Amino acid sequence: MASLIGIDVGGTFTDAVMITNGVIERKGKIPTNQDDILNTLISALDYLQISEAKNIEMITVSTTLVTNAILQKRLPEVKLILFPGTGMKLSSLPWPVDYSVLTGVLDYRGRVVVPADQSEWQTLAEKLNKQSIKPLTAIVSKFSHRNNVFEEQLAAYLHREAPGIITALGSQSGQANFYRRSLTTYLNLAATELFQNFAYQLKMAVEARGCRAPIRVLKADGGVLPLAKIRPVESIYSGPAASVLGTLAQSNPEESYVVVDIGGTTTDIGLVLSGSPLISTHGAQIGPFLTNVRSLAVRSVSIGGDSAVCLEQGEVMLADYRLGPAYCIGGISPTPTDALRYLNLTDYGDLQRAEEALGLLLPENQRTASALRRTAQIIVGKMVEKIARAIEQLLEEWKTEPAYKVWEVIHHHDDFKFYIQLSGGGAPGLEAALENRMRLRTVLTEFSEVSNAIGASMAKPTFSWTLHLDTKFSIYRIEETGEQGIWTGPKKPHREVEDFLKELAQKQAVGFGIETDDLEKEIFDYFPLVENYHTVGQIVKGAMHVPPGVIGRIRS
Amino acid sequence: MNKTGIIFFPAFDWSLGEFHPEREERLLYTQEQIFEEGIMDLPQVKQYSPGVADLFDVLRTQAIFPDLQQHNLDAHLIAVGSSLVLGNALMKKEITNGFALVRPPGHHSGATVWGNRGFCTLNNEAILINVLRAKYGIKKIAVIDTDVHHGDGTQDIFYHDPNVFYISIHQDGRTIFPGTGFTEEKGGPNAWGSVLNIPLLPGVGDEGFLYALENWIMPAVEAFKPDLIINSAGQDNHFTDPLASMNVTARGYGKITEMIKPDLAVLEGGYAIEGALPYINMAIFLALAGEDYSGVVESQKPQNTEIGGDTIRSFLTDLKRTNEAVRPSWAFRKEPFLPTGDWVYSEKSIYYDTDGFKENRREYIRKCRHCGGTVLMISQKPSAFQKAVLVRIPFEACPDCEQAGYDLAETFQKSEKTVLLQNQRRDQVHFWTDGREVNPFGG
Ligand SMILES: [Zn+2]
Ligand SMILES: [Zn+2]
Repeated sequence: MASLIGIDVGGTFTDAVMITNGVIERKGKIPTNQDDILNTLISALDYLQISEAKNIEMITVSTTLVTNAILQKRLPEVKLILFPGTGMKLSSLPWPVDYSVLTGVLDYRGRVVVPADQSEWQTLAEKLNKQSIKPLTAIVSKFSHRNNVFEEQLAAYLHREAPGIITALGSQSGQANFYRRSLTTYLNLAATELFQNFAYQLKMAVEARGCRAPIRVLKADGGVLPLAKIRPVESIYSGPAASVLGTLAQSNPEESYVVVDIGGTTTDIGLVLSGSPLISTHGAQIGPFLTNVRSLAVRSVSIGGDSAVCLEQGEVMLADYRLGPAYCIGGISPTPTDALRYLNLTDYGDLQRAEEALGLLLPENQRTASALRRTAQIIVGKMVEKIARAIEQLLEEWKTEPAYKVWEVIHHHDDFKFYIQLSGGGAPGLEAALENRMRLRTVLTEFSEVSNAIGASMAKPTFSWTLHLDTKFSIYRIEETGEQGIWTGPKKPHREVEDFLKELAQKQAVGFGIETDDLEKEIFDYFPLVENYHTVGQIVKGAMHVPPGVIGRIRS
Repeated sequence: MNKTGIIFFPAFDWSLGEFHPEREERLLYTQEQIFEEGIMDLPQVKQYSPGVADLFDVLRTQAIFPDLQQHNLDAHLIAVGSSLVLGNALMKKEITNGFALVRPPGHHSGATVWGNRGFCTLNNEAILINVLRAKYGIKKIAVIDTDVHHGDGTQDIFYHDPNVFYISIHQDGRTIFPGTGFTEEKGGPNAWGSVLNIPLLPGVGDEGFLYALENWIMPAVEAFKPDLIINSAGQDNHFTDPLASMNVTARGYGKITEMIKPDLAVLEGGYAIEGALPYINMAIFLALAGEDYSGVVESQKPQNTEIGGDTIRSFLTDLKRTNEAVRPSWAFRKEPFLPTGDWVYSEKSIYYDTDGFKENRREYIRKCRHCGGTVLMISQKPSAFQKAVLVRIPFEACPDCEQAGYDLAETFQKSEKTVLLQNQRRDQVHFWTDGREVNPFGG
């Protein structure tokens, strides 16, 4: 019997599940060691007792490795070389890293307006050669998503003149936004070695346990890719994606709901519209870096069952950090978990200790049952309020998404009947309070405590192919892969463009190990290019996606 | 640094036809440019999503004849609605200024609308202005129209309104569509001087434009003391524009914007899809956001020689003298249907170039020392044998003018098939068909 394994490395706990035919065979939580993600993962695997005989079909992990490395500034420096061309001044945007600038201008259709200056390249190569360790070098030009000529030529030149150099090009992720593309290329290159080492060791560890199953990594957009194919930076914020997918695997396929996943110190909130998780229109932001990493539209609130509760000028406050576990299970600080236990909303932890925890927040002579009760209610109320505001913000963000076509605006928000799907450690105790505050039906996800791992294990591979074709210049580009090539079809194509993209997608999908049975086509846009009352070509924009989703449902 | 709002609505699925200058491609390169530059990521910038305007907001300002159902308004209502989204954001102080980068444009669409003219069906700025007045009680608004074409529609809507100062700087109407916008057009009997037209010689370029702004337009605006400034930001003064020949550069537009300091800018025309729009829109946007726009450089260079220096200075001095010398001359009319008071009469013929027909209009304005005066427009579309009547009671109407408006509406609902009463004072709209009041918004 083939089994799926899902592991989600969270901030406090790492969830692990083994699922066979939609039935959870084993599940559990182990504490996360943030300083050693690899061993945390291996311990989680060991906890699931993968035996050699066991027929594991797939292992999927959602890891905080790259997220942590970026946020803790543990990545090596990258030399960022820009061709900013004309337009807005670079200094208008906050660059979190240093860069150097070269000559050369492209326009919005990728035409060379001012050629690059090779004498500058020579100086650059000389400088690089003088350094004892060849720096990682990211090269990004404005409009390189339309024409990568500067990037490719400079990279080729540097490889020749400064051998041993490692480069990454902005056009490899070909979405518009020079700023985000530059920072994404930077982060990706910076994280490559760290991620490759991790990938290698994880693979070895899995094999050492006699398991030959392919290992996949969850992405921020809720899709999975093979360990060897994923761009490291795409693995950031896969935790919230895991929550959303976990809920998806435990609910009816066509429903619309808000996902609320309450963790130890963070609560993740996502949105599912008629069974499809909502994708953010902007790329993910990590620390000071704005990226073009595609991600689900999620909000993370720094509040959870283990959040420390403290007194500030006599008022009970919820901290955005944790001082160990809840008091009622042996911790040192009162937490929301204690409040929930005291109010008998959960049966997790020791009631006596929960009462003690709340007492710590009151002067000794005021620790009456009613005061304790009121304090507990204040704590729960504050937590619910913080979560409710984040839900409202996310709904607002969804309602105010940009739209660029008439039909998008007219059909912008067909009515969705939302409810709340609640999961995570503190979830059971908050159900009623959240329902009251939001005036939305609130239900508990069944395998609430390991929902994220379920999400990871059942996530579908996703990919998008976004075509930009300029038949006047006979050039096509694929945003996601950065592929740029020659178009040999007609100047005014119709259907053949869709077939062209479909064929290309299917071919590339094989390399990524992705099934394309449910390839979804977006509406293609055709822009006539007119010169002197003659159509001289077209710009065609269109996309096909394997959308995020799950490969099945959990059976109870 | 300014907190700048932007709505980018390129209407990629709307056009007047494949060979029409106002086609889907128009904002395609602007999108490439602004997305690639990452201007939405500027910390002071907030992107808003497009809105859909209410038909009531439309009818408060424009009479859509013979009825709403005859027009396909979807795209137009979004262009208006998006301008309103920014207007509301401005009033709520979420932003200090904003740019509605939308199509279709609107400034050729006037007080009465039978179809599309100059690519416009609804007037984005005019509807916005009246929403700001009706909803937020804004009193005085200046419109500076920097499109190369005279904004005859906006002028038409506010011609009798002393509280809206309409200023248009454009290429001389003798050389370009719509053939209006002469310096003698200075406003109606109760709003004399609330229209300022500066028709320019072709080819004046940045220098002439900025000279006119500095020496004429901005002092006039300051004297008017508006509560709000709206820029009808047409981009067809650019040196690459195929329909005009004004020779302005993108950085020139940046400077113009910096000088005008509009609270809101709304995109109008501009048909140099490749050479001008992506650059000008960037420059305007950066100027609004208080950022350096000197790096915005077109890939082509201006080729025509500019008419600069003394030529333009003496031209503008003469023009200003002519403008100041113009005195009003009103034709008064007595008609049996006119209520008490003195009524100024005029006629105009409006050509709908997109659809190829003519509207004839007779206008009566109640001369009044207390308010903008009630306006009666009897409008005809001869090709369809259709006739319709608009009665407008202005914002802050005096009791006599308001009564005159009601009397007119009562008279005409008996004799005419289609009558629209705009009571701007009470923020009401009434519509009569065949003598029966109907709800113009219902299906
Ligand atoms: Zn124009
Ligand atoms: Zn009056």
